[in-house]
Amino acid sequence: MNSSSGRRGNLISLIFIMVGLALTVLVMALPAYTFTASVYTKKSSNTFVGDEKYTQVLSEVEEIAEGYRAQGMDVEISENVTERTNSKGEKTSLVAFSISESFKKSILSFICSALPSGTVLGVMLVLMASSLLLSLLGFFGSRNETGRSLKRRPAVLRTIASLCLLISTLLVPVFVLMNNYLFWRKVSLFTGDLITEGRDVFFAKLDGFLFGGKMGEGIGDALKNLNMSFHPIVFLMILTLAVAGIASIQLRYGAIKKKLLRVLLYAFVAVVCVITLYPYYVMLITAFRSNAETLDMYFLHLLPTKWRWSNLSDIVSRGVPRFLLNSLMIAGGATLLAMLCGIPAAYAMARMNFKGKKFFLGFVIMSQMFSPVVLLIGISQLMNALHLNDTILGLVFINAAFNQAFAIWLLRGTFVAIPSEMEQAAKIDGCGTIGSLVRVLLPMAAPGIVTTLIFVFINAWNEYTISTVLISTASNRPITVGITQFSSFNMIEWQYLFAASLLATIPVVALFMVIEKHLTSGLTSGGVKG
Amino acid sequence: MREKKRWNLMPYVWLLPSIALISVFVVFPIAIVFKLSFSEISKAGVVGEFIGLRNYTEAVNLPAFKTVMANTFWWVISVVGLSTLFGFAIALVLNEKFAGRKIARSILIFPWATSLVIQASVWNYIIKYEYGSLNSVLLNLGIIREAINWRSTYQIEFVWECACGIFVTVPFVAFCVLSGLQSIDRSLYESATVDGAGFLSKLIHITLPLVRPALSVSTVLNIIYVFNSFPIIFTMTKGAPANKTDTMITFLYMLSFYDRKKGPAIALSVIGFLILCLCAGIYMVTVMRKEDAA
Repeated sequence: MNSSSGRRGNLISLIFIMVGLALTVLVMALPAYTFTASVYTKKSSNTFVGDEKYTQVLSEVEEIAEGYRAQGMDVEISENVTERTNSKGEKTSLVAFSISESFKKSILSFICSALPSGTVLGVMLVLMASSLLLSLLGFFGSRNETGRSLKRRPAVLRTIASLCLLISTLLVPVFVLMNNYLFWRKVSLFTGDLITEGRDVFFAKLDGFLFGGKMGEGIGDALKNLNMSFHPIVFLMILTLAVAGIASIQLRYGAIKKKLLRVLLYAFVAVVCVITLYPYYVMLITAFRSNAETLDMYFLHLLPTKWRWSNLSDIVSRGVPRFLLNSLMIAGGATLLAMLCGIPAAYAMARMNFKGKKFFLGFVIMSQMFSPVVLLIGISQLMNALHLNDTILGLVFINAAFNQAFAIWLLRGTFVAIPSEMEQAAKIDGCGTIGSLVRVLLPMAAPGIVTTLIFVFINAWNEYTISTVLISTASNRPITVGITQFSSFNMIEWQYLFAASLLATIPVVALFMVIEKHLTSGLTSGGVKG
Repeated sequence: MREKKRWNLMPYVWLLPSIALISVFVVFPIAIVFKLSFSEISKAGVVGEFIGLRNYTEAVNLPAFKTVMANTFWWVISVVGLSTLFGFAIALVLNEKFAGRKIARSILIFPWATSLVIQASVWNYIIKYEYGSLNSVLLNLGIIREAINWRSTYQIEFVWECACGIFVTVPFVAFCVLSGLQSIDRSLYESATVDGAGFLSKLIHITLPLVRPALSVSTVLNIIYVFNSFPIIFTMTKGAPANKTDTMITFLYMLSFYDRKKGPAIALSVIGFLILCLCAGIYMVTVMRKEDAA
C-alpha cells in the first residue's frame, strides 16, 4: 500500500464513520414504532347506523373520549358494523364503537422503558456509537501517517471498535428474540391470564412505557388489541450497522482479511451443517415424543419433555421388525445377486478384449437410465407371468437388475486401477483365470468391492416405488413401505413414523460413512478410466 | 497375441449372467410396455387387441397433461440447476483445509444415504401449518409472531417439493465435484497466484475447465434421477390438488394404479421412456467422448 492510497482509504473510512454517527443519532431520536391500543369498546346490539339508539350510544362514547382527551391522550373513535340476517329473515345489526389511542415511540423511549428488549437495544446502540467514536479517534490518531505504519494506539482503538461492532451486530438477533418473544408472547400470555406470576410488575412497566401510567388497572384490557407497526426508520438502523461495519472493515481490511475469510468459511459450513442436520434432529426428537406433543405447536423444548422409549416397543408390536427383516433380505439378496453377476462382467470388461465391448458398456449404461417407475406396468406384468408378484424374491431380482449398471461401473473402475501383472504371475504359477481372479484380484480389489457392495445394499434398502406396487401382503413389506402404515389420510402417527424411520436410517447412514471416501473417487473417474 | 483366437467365447460367458439379469428384468419390461402401449387395456389390466396410437392420443388429450409436462420441466430444471449450484459451492468449500472438514463431509452425506420416503415425510412434518416443526422453532426463537401457513397454495407446495428435491440432491453433486476438485494439481493455483490471479479468475480459468467432466457426468445423471424421482412428490402432495403438483412419473403412477386408466398411463410411460432415451443418448456421447480423451 503506498501513502496516497492509504490516505484515500482513511478518508473513505472517515466519511463512513461520520455517516454512521449521523445515522445513529437520527435513529435514536426519530419515532420508530407506532402502537395502536383500544382503550375502550362498547357494543350496541339491534342498532342501525343513523337511528336513535345509534346517536345515543355515539354521544355516550364521545363523552368518554372527551374524558380521555382531558387526560391528554390522543384518541380516536372508530365503529365497526356487523349486519346479519337471522333465521326469521329479519335484518339485525351490531355496532361496536371503540376508542383507540395511537402513539409514536422513539427508540430512545423504548430504551428508557426498562423493558428487557429496550435494554438490549440500548446496549446495542451504545456499542455501535462507541465503535464509531473509537474509529474516529483512531482516524485522528493516524491522520498524518501512511496506512503501512499505523501507530500501536490507533490500531488498538480500531480493533476495539471492530469488536464493539461485532458484539452489537450479534445483539440484533437477541433483540429480535426479546422483542418478539419476551414482549409480544409475554403480552399475549399475560392478557390471556396464562401467566399470573409477576403480572402486576410487568403491566406497570408496560403502562409506564405505552401510556405514561395513565391506564392503571385497565392496562390488561387495553393491551388486548395492541398493535405495533414499524417505521422505515428501523431499516435505517440496519443501514447504520452496515455503514459502521464497512468503515471498520475498511480500516483494518489488510490485517483481518485472512481471518475474515476464515470466519466466513466456518459460518458457511456451520449453516450448511445445521440445515442438513435439521430434519434428522426433527426425526430424532419426534420419535420419542408423545402423540399429543407431536401435534403441539407451542412445544417449547429442544428435547422431548420425557423420552418415551415406549414408542419403540409400540412399533415393534406393529410389525416393524418384520419390515426391517424383509428389507435386510431384499437388500442382502439383491446385493449378493448383483455382485455374482457383476464381478465376472466387470472382470471381462477390465481385462479382456472382445468384439462388442463398447456395445455392452452402452447396454449397461442404458439400463441405468431407466428408473423402474417408467417400466412399472411392464414389470408388474412380468412378475405376474413369473409368479413373483408380491414376493420378496421378485424384489431381489428387480433391485439386482437395476443396480447392475452401477455395480459393473464401480467394479470395473476398481479392477482397471489394479495392475494385471500379479494375475499374470499367478497364471504362470498354474492358477486358471478363475483361480487368479479369486486368489489375486479380489483380495486386492477388496476396498472397491466393499464400496460397491454397500452402495448396492443401500440403494436396495432405500427402494420404495417398486415395492409399493409389487407388494400387497403386509408381512412382505420392506421398511420403506412399512412406515407408510403409520400415516393415513385422517391421522398420522408421527412419533411412530419417525421412530421406524430412525431405525431404517441409522444403519444405512453408518454404512454410507464407511464408504464415503472411496465413493467420491469411484463415481466420476473410476467408471470411465481405462 | 496367442490369446486372440480364444476370445470368441470366453468373454461372453463371463458377461452372460449380467446380460441375462438385465435382459429379463430391464429389457423385457421395456418390450412389454411398448407392446402394451398399442393395445387396448381394460381397467382390470386385461390386454385386448391392437388399437394403434389411440392410447397416445388419449394420454396427450388428458386435461392435466399440459400442467404435468410443465411441472416436470420446472421440477427437473430447478432441482438439477440449483442443486448443481449449491453442490458446487459446497464442494469448493469442502476442498479447503479446515478443522472439522471430515465431520462436515460426514454430515453432508446424510441426505444422500437416507431413503427419499423418509426425507419427504420429515419435511412434510416440518412445514405443517398447525404443529409443524418449522413454525414451532421460529415461534420459540421469536423470529415470527404468528404461525405461518407454509403451504397455503399449491404453487408454494410445489416449491417446497423442489426444495426437498434440492436438499437430497446437493450431496451427490457436491461429492462428484469434490472428486473432480481433488484431482486438480495444487501447483496450478500457486503459479496462478504468483501471476496475480484473483479468486474469480482462478475459478473461471482453472477450476471450471478441470472439473467440467465431473460436473457434466453428475448433471446428466442428476437429470435422469430427478426426472425419475417419485417418492418426494408422492409423499408430500400425491399430486393434489387435481394433478397440479404432479410430475410425469407420479402422474402416470396415479393414472395407472389409482384411476385405473392403464392405457394412457402406458402411453405416458413410453413417452417418458423416449425422453429418458434422449438424455441417455446425450450422456453416452459425453461419457464416450471422455473415454476417447482418456
